[in-house]
Amino acid sequence: MSTNDVIIEAMEITKAFPGGVVALDRFSLAIRRGEVVVIIGPSGSGKTTFLRCLNGLEEIDSGSIMINGIPLDHHRKNRLLIRQEVGMVFQSFNLFPHMTVRENINLAQIRVRKKSRADAAEATMNLLVKVGITEKADRYPHELSGGQQQRVAIARALAMNPKVMLFDEATSALDPEMIGEVLEVMRSLAAEGMTMVVVTHEMGFAREAGDRIVFMENGRIVEVGETERFFANPSEERTRAFLGQIL
Amino acid sequence: MTQEIPPLHRRSAAASRAALIDYGKFFLFAGLTVWLLTLGTHGLGYNWQWYRIPRFLFTTEGGVWAAGPLLQGLLVTLEISALSLLCTLILGLTAALFRLSDSFTARALARGYLELIRNTPLLIQIFFVYFVISPVLDISAFSSAVLALSLFEGAYAAEILRAGIVSIHRGQWEAAHSLGLSTFDTYRDVILPQAIRRVLPPLAGQGISLIKDSSLVSTIAIYDLTMQGQKIVSETFLAFEIWFTIAAIYLVMTFGLSFAVRALEHRMNGFPIRGARGIA
Repeated sequence: MSTNDVIIEAMEITKAFPGGVVALDRFSLAIRRGEVVVIIGPSGSGKTTFLRCLNGLEEIDSGSIMINGIPLDHHRKNRLLIRQEVGMVFQSFNLFPHMTVRENINLAQIRVRKKSRADAAEATMNLLVKVGITEKADRYPHELSGGQQQRVAIARALAMNPKVMLFDEATSALDPEMIGEVLEVMRSLAAEGMTMVVVTHEMGFAREAGDRIVFMENGRIVEVGETERFFANPSEERTRAFLGQIL
Repeated sequence: MTQEIPPLHRRSAAASRAALIDYGKFFLFAGLTVWLLTLGTHGLGYNWQWYRIPRFLFTTEGGVWAAGPLLQGLLVTLEISALSLLCTLILGLTAALFRLSDSFTARALARGYLELIRNTPLLIQIFFVYFVISPVLDISAFSSAVLALSLFEGAYAAEILRAGIVSIHRGQWEAAHSLGLSTFDTYRDVILPQAIRRVLPPLAGQGISLIKDSSLVSTIAIYDLTMQGQKIVSETFLAFEIWFTIAAIYLVMTFGLSFAVRALEHRMNGFPIRGARGIA
């Protein structure tokens, strides 16, 4: 792979929280365009912090992050540019409760992408078809099930036509019977060639959709590997122990 | 199923009995108040002359309807209150956003304003604006009144709005930021609509305070409702009737505002406050 194909490059990033918890410790990772990277690891290992650093929700203490050729630095403009190219799906959905499903998805298209209302409405309908909830377009988030809310949240992020999608434990807050429908949408996105960074506990999804698996602990990478090799033959003792616990 | 009916039935009978007792208490209390009042005025030997009141409200001489001094005063009070309410909201929102801003200067400015206004009496502020600021800026008594009231109520509105803004879950900011929305867009489309919906009741309370506090502008020669009342009382000595009437007019105004806000709240009821965190 040539370096041109790298869309996300995190170099030696460090992030400590007040109180001295080091969430990321000289963490480096390069992600190629179209790649699906699944990050696993015990809680508190820095997985979520890494995702949040990638779109500037957390500020890094040192190191550098480059996304699609734009450095994520202190310039507000660069930060906004990166956020426009990076979509994020949260564990707790974070839909806007005072807006209907349609309005949730329209908002950023109109405000940030400066689309006309008609164009935004058309794109929104296409996205609702894609995530399979056209019949709820004019409902408010609290009228939807958790799985439906999360699918709307995915559609909302996709409405920006992002180059990268970040999934932060997107299924962890869902009832078991609703996990499948969200993973289904994520799988189809991966199949379309979307660059995805996924923090999850769903090993089935990791195995099936992931190109590479990153195993993190204490803010550092313990092991990275191609999915098949990673699960079949992990090289680190710690990885084997972790996989043994969760599989 | 039929077994569940008797306890339910009993409860509703108990409820209607409780309601009856409540009504009884209310009328007993109301009757007692009226009785005490008549007893008191009787003891004073007060000569009630309610028939003299209507002409202070309006006159219909020669079939031509004309507003009396009390209605003219009411109009002034309404004008001052409405203008001040608008300025209060603008000022309050600005101060709240300044207090939450990243800029040290903006925060210090807002902090200074709030402390200064909330720790001095409104009457002194009105005098200060009228006697010190108005000659400098060359503004009328009416403008001074609106300025003083807006500055005063704005400080309280700012704290109410700030409380509403910080009560919105962090996830809402993060979702908006992750979509690339600017801070301005996030406030306008995501945070403020939810925050204002939440603080509408205390905000309405501040509006009601504003209407009542506006009576203090009578001290700087503005012929509002209160000032007209003072003038009439000094001319006619109808103290009881006039002040009762004026109190009733203020009550109608504040009830009107409460009612309007409640109607607004109902209209904004598209989503429940509890659902506002976006967590199922």
